[in-house]
Amino acid sequence: MNHQQLPDGYEVLEPFVDFWAVHGTAARDAKRTASSEAQRKGFYQIAKDHVPRALAELDQTPLHQFNEKQTNLMNLLLSFAHVVNAVELLGDGEAKHAKFRAAMPFLRSTADLPA
Amino acid sequence: MNEHTPVYTSPDEAVAWMGTDPIPAKAYYDPEWFELERQAIFMRTWIEIGHVCELPEPGTWIRRDLEFANASILIVRGKDGQIRAFYNACTHRGTQLVEEESGRGSNFLCPYHFWNFGYDGRLIAAPDFNRFALTKEDCKIPKVSVDTCAGLIFINLDSNPKQTLREHLGSYAEGMETLPVARATHFAEYTYEIDANWKITYDNFQENYHLRHVHGLTGIATVHPDNLYGYPTKYTFDGANRTQEIWSNPEPKITPMQGYNFGLAAKFAQEEGVLTGPHARTYFAIFPSFFIIGTPVQHFSHKVYPISATRSRGVFRVYWIGEDDSASKRYSREYALASIHDIHTEDVNIINRAQKGLLSGAIKNIHFMNMEGLCRHLYLNVVKAIDEWQAEQGKRA
Repeated sequence: MNHQQLPDGYEVLEPFVDFWAVHGTAARDAKRTASSEAQRKGFYQIAKDHVPRALAELDQTPLHQFNEKQTNLMNLLLSFAHVVNAVELLGDGEAKHAKFRAAMPFLRSTADLPA
Repeated sequence: MNEHTPVYTSPDEAVAWMGTDPIPAKAYYDPEWFELERQAIFMRTWIEIGHVCELPEPGTWIRRDLEFANASILIVRGKDGQIRAFYNACTHRGTQLVEEESGRGSNFLCPYHFWNFGYDGRLIAAPDFNRFALTKEDCKIPKVSVDTCAGLIFINLDSNPKQTLREHLGSYAEGMETLPVARATHFAEYTYEIDANWKITYDNFQENYHLRHVHGLTGIATVHPDNLYGYPTKYTFDGANRTQEIWSNPEPKITPMQGYNFGLAAKFAQEEGVLTGPHARTYFAIFPSFFIIGTPVQHFSHKVYPISATRSRGVFRVYWIGEDDSASKRYSREYALASIHDIHTEDVNIINRAQKGLLSGAIKNIHFMNMEGLCRHLYLNVVKAIDEWQAEQGKRA
């Protein structure tokens, strides 16, 4: 049985899809808030080296023509965008920071729009 | 021995004219003072409430609720392309015409008795209307003055505004028209409500003194030995409005993926022709409580709407030119948005605490140093506006 959720070549990122590959900026922010430090660090450490290649490949296809696997990869990358600062800048401060974020919800984002 | 040439010079002289007097703390929590502000300022000054990209074609409309006026306002683009504004209230018995935040169509139908209004606020038809001792002309919805600058929509609730929007914006209107927001087609938005006076909320974003303390981790890129607080390089003032030029750290501490992500964003800003510009580092603060910052990668505005003496609502918007037309652009925008959101969420907690500390009345005065000069300028112009309004009231009496 094939449970592959990402395009070929991104098998190393498959373990992160179920948690991180969600649609919508607010949902991704909520995932960051709900995540543990280990989850964020693990995702960051593995994904960071694949971001340029993944974006370059996805750029070859118009957003509105993405298949399900490409959409999953896009959503994974968009969640990575939320995780970068949590790992690179905030570190231990992320837990305190997370408490503040709920007070300022995202209501609208271009990434929420259909491509 | 090498002589150190500072990379930053503080613009102290630009703010010296405002003096150093303590500021009465009461102006930041007292309900009676707030009522003066509400009447003297918010009920008769141009208030930013949206962007023309929300009204992309004739027949589109948006609704904006303004707590300080107990008012819901409809802003519509008519068949003729003109933007008009009027109260979201049926002239029959006052029922709100719409509950939705936005929409499109050609008329507003009151759900109560089906009075039907056109996009110019005129009554088109009403069932059994001949039983009223009225003409349709009597039943126009009260209009609200509306105008735009740089794509931004402003309204004025004064039935006879004392200034045009251009007069209100003064010399800054021209500069604002050069900003990316003037060409924006899309935006992201995040909001908050906070137990804090509108000036306390707004002032937080007018000074950089707090940056290294409140944003010590997220704002690390701004820290430099010659400018530890990231103070601006220049201040200007024009009437009740003001600007500051944001300092560019020549040696920013950038982390690996932060650098990659902002590099992508800069590439897109370059392609859109907004990476450089005469006001790419200008922060325009428009009285009473709106600002927009010219930085092209995170081109954001902030509007603070007062709710009461000790409560306010903030709306942040990050503006973009064009849709997300590639994975890379969507990713770079998501990062830019999340990054600026990271910084602003840190502000909410400290603003709350700033308000709480004043409520007992034990603190009689607050103090602004010279690099908090924009906060002082706001207070001075609030006082000026109240003085002018009270003088007018005296004349009318």
